Amino acid sequence: MWRYLASRLVQIPLILVVVTMTIFVVVRATPGDPVQIMLGMETSPDAVAAIRKEFRLDRPLAVQYVLWLGDLAQGNLGRSIRLNTPVTQLLRERFPVSLRLAAGAMLVALCISIPLGILAALYRNTWIDYLCTGYTVAGFAIPNFALAMILIYVFSIKLGWFPITGIGSGDAKTAFDAIGPYILPAVALGTLQTAVLTRLLRSSMIDVLMQDYVRTAHAKGLMPTTVVLVHALKNAMIPFVTMVAIQCGYLIGIQVTIEYIFAIPGMGSAVLSGVINRDFPIVQGFTLVIAAFFLFANLVADLLYGVLDPRIRY
Amino acid sequence: MALLSVRNLTTSFATDQGLIRAVNGVSFTLEPGEVLGLVGESGSGKSVTALSIMRLVREPPAKVEAELLDFEGTDLLRAAPRALRDIRGSGIAMVFQDPMRSLNPVLSIGRQLAEPLIRHLRMEAAAARRRAIELLEMVGIPMAEKRLGSYPHQFSGGMRQRVMIAIALSCNPRLLIADEATTALDVTIQAQIVELVRTLTKNLGTAVIWISHDLGLVAGLCDRVNVMYAGRIVETGPVREVFYRPAHGYTIGLIGCTPRVDRVGTPLKPINGLPPNLMDEAPLCPFLPRCDVAVPACHQTMPVLRSLPGGHSAVCLADLTSHHRGAH
Amino acid sequence: MAAILTNDTGKAARDEILTLRFASGARLASRQFLRNLPATSGLVVLALLCLAAIAAPLISPFDPIQIKLSAKLQPPSWAHLLGTDHFGRDVLSRLLYGARVSLSIGLMVVAFSTSFGVPIGMTAGFMRGNVDNVLMRLMDAFLTFPPLLLAVAIVGLLGPDLRNVMAAIGVVQVPVLARIVRASTLSAREETYVMAARALGASPLRIATRHILRNILSPIMVQLTIGFSAAIIAEASLSFLGLGTQPPNPSWGRDLAEARRYMADAPWLFLAPTATIMLAVLSINFVGDGLRDALDPRSWRTRARVASAKG
Repeated sequence: MWRYLASRLVQIPLILVVVTMTIFVVVRATPGDPVQIMLGMETSPDAVAAIRKEFRLDRPLAVQYVLWLGDLAQGNLGRSIRLNTPVTQLLRERFPVSLRLAAGAMLVALCISIPLGILAALYRNTWIDYLCTGYTVAGFAIPNFALAMILIYVFSIKLGWFPITGIGSGDAKTAFDAIGPYILPAVALGTLQTAVLTRLLRSSMIDVLMQDYVRTAHAKGLMPTTVVLVHALKNAMIPFVTMVAIQCGYLIGIQVTIEYIFAIPGMGSAVLSGVINRDFPIVQGFTLVIAAFFLFANLVADLLYGVLDPRIRY
Repeated sequence: MALLSVRNLTTSFATDQGLIRAVNGVSFTLEPGEVLGLVGESGSGKSVTALSIMRLVREPPAKVEAELLDFEGTDLLRAAPRALRDIRGSGIAMVFQDPMRSLNPVLSIGRQLAEPLIRHLRMEAAAARRRAIELLEMVGIPMAEKRLGSYPHQFSGGMRQRVMIAIALSCNPRLLIADEATTALDVTIQAQIVELVRTLTKNLGTAVIWISHDLGLVAGLCDRVNVMYAGRIVETGPVREVFYRPAHGYTIGLIGCTPRVDRVGTPLKPINGLPPNLMDEAPLCPFLPRCDVAVPACHQTMPVLRSLPGGHSAVCLADLTSHHRGAH
Repeated sequence: MAAILTNDTGKAARDEILTLRFASGARLASRQFLRNLPATSGLVVLALLCLAAIAAPLISPFDPIQIKLSAKLQPPSWAHLLGTDHFGRDVLSRLLYGARVSLSIGLMVVAFSTSFGVPIGMTAGFMRGNVDNVLMRLMDAFLTFPPLLLAVAIVGLLGPDLRNVMAAIGVVQVPVLARIVRASTLSAREETYVMAARALGASPLRIATRHILRNILSPIMVQLTIGFSAAIIAEASLSFLGLGTQPPNPSWGRDLAEARRYMADAPWLFLAPTATIMLAVLSINFVGDGLRDALDPRSWRTRARVASAKG
């Protein structure tokens, strides 16, 4: 088990190198002189040259990359060209926000998908099944930003229950003030996950319920609830839980449209404005963290397999 | 009073093409402590009969009907689900064919053993644990205490089947149904398992229904045997009677294709033809197309149950005394 | 309550009793597909959408980018079937042209991911060993890109060129496809008929193309439908963020972005593109589900022919 963990942990930096190299190349392939574009046409050529020197844009590509790696090793991700703040500081501000949003979305997804998935499997092909899985059809098809727009319109504008944008000013007086701004974005973000997870749980439960050991459990005269929740669910949960872990990593990347609509200062919107403003250090640094988080989530998912299924021992 | 009384049990499945009768009018009784064999080829309806008795068939799409389905005074057809659950595992227990697939891979052996104890005998966890260890020792699993926390995949095939037997016998059921319990095991292990079941059930006084396609197995173990074909019982009687004085074309066919240790070199005689169409409702003997001993009357009338000496009966029109070997 | 009792012993009986008589695999599969109502209607809708997209210049009532401020924000009427937007442009026409963008991007992404994913997956699965390891590590690296973010970076930085969008969306689908192809190749490779072909001296290329390819078709097809619908949503997201199709060109996502301000006054501006996106994605998903069920013998609904003793 430890050997497996170690080999995976060694792979992570290698993969991240590929990821960051790709981003680096993409970033540097941006047409036009990025500094000039960013600073505006009126800036003097000397100022432009100075900035270019400071951000090493006058060196060859490979050298820039190696230097960047070197800085990374020291925990330095550079400074945002536009905001003139260290990238690490910006990360510290934005990462928790994104994490909270992702956690909220996953919470919504779990609360809905687990009971509905189980019920749909038990009563498969009956009206109960269609009721439970009917919404998943729409959940797959509606883009999350469109859903966000509807939610904002109904709940924030018309009903006024939630703030239209932002995550609050930090001086929340009640729990609702603290969590409230996250609710609509979490629902909008989590809808696709809910659909995916409901379907997944339903189909794995159906597979499990057909197994011989479920028949044995019934033959032992156990209560139906025991058979379903202990014998069946424990088996069906294995692929489910690993998918949850994978989706968590995935969520952080997908947040950008939601953050954009709700004006939430998270990782996605930082990358978006970094891209628009040609702020390379931000794009590089934030992508690195997001990719690392994603890798980490995948690793957790694989390890969970080993924990939950006694047949798998690394 | 008979332990189990089955009269005219029929289990049918509705398909797009018509009604399939997997079990078609099966009747038999079982006394306490009796060992009954149920033989027939694949598709004869033996397993479905057992599952229907325990009401473990998914209804719908199946439909289980009978004139009488009585176990120790309880009408299994009309009993409430709760009552059925009480009987399963403690009144009637079942051992299935493939122990790898019949045991839950993510629950420990100890847990799976303790479940029926806690459920039916209302034991507490500690008492159930002790009893589980006893049960494992009873079925011959060494280092029982250590193995409680093991998982099914850590056992060999024979050991897994022993565990299944331990689970089945844990609450001292009055009836044990062994559905092809040894088919998936090595021959040497088969002998061990068979011996184990025989000893344990004799000691506990458990009645057993052995379902198998292996005639030799049934002949060595059972008091009486039912021969099934196309969902019906075509011959029934004491084991010696049926095997030495078979009275049905199918039984003769089965015996003819069973290898015999004392007849090395004699060619085996397979039964020609294909398995029957279970939707065929023609009022003739279902075995007719494949029968080697049919008489002209077979093409005209449906055979009825014919009694023979020694508690032996068969649903056959032919007189098959010429095929009898006589007991030795 | 009977519904939750035990496993399907119809299965046990069925295994014992029924013997299916097979028509050719493809015919049987297509029959299963056609019997599936959502799948068939999905296929019909999809076909209609494609036709509408192709014929957009012919059937579109107005020029989608023609501004006519006098007709702005009109609700649906006989003149403008889906109303007009804040520039007086006909919504229906914009949707038709937008379909061209979305569907063509979807197809391009599918083509892109297939042309990379299939060869990579097959090579990895067939060659195994070091080649397999290296390829799969490379695929893993690209799998770690959260899809939308990479697209945002590529399109945002390199420009909203159609090829950039295609590559940006497609690049994250390649590893998924490659994995699936590799898995199917691995199992197909172990089949006896492949060993037989090798014993007869068939070259690896021939084995790969003739024998294995046929087997991996079905999981590929299903994955491609998933990829297709994901591409449509990705393109819509990019356009929504302002990175994809640039105004004034029509695009479903772009139209949605512009509809934000008019949710209360002109709800049709929001509803029309949303409904269209959902229709496209749903029909593709239904087709994909139908394909999956049709190609997996276990989910075939048995109108089985029972083998008769006389047959």
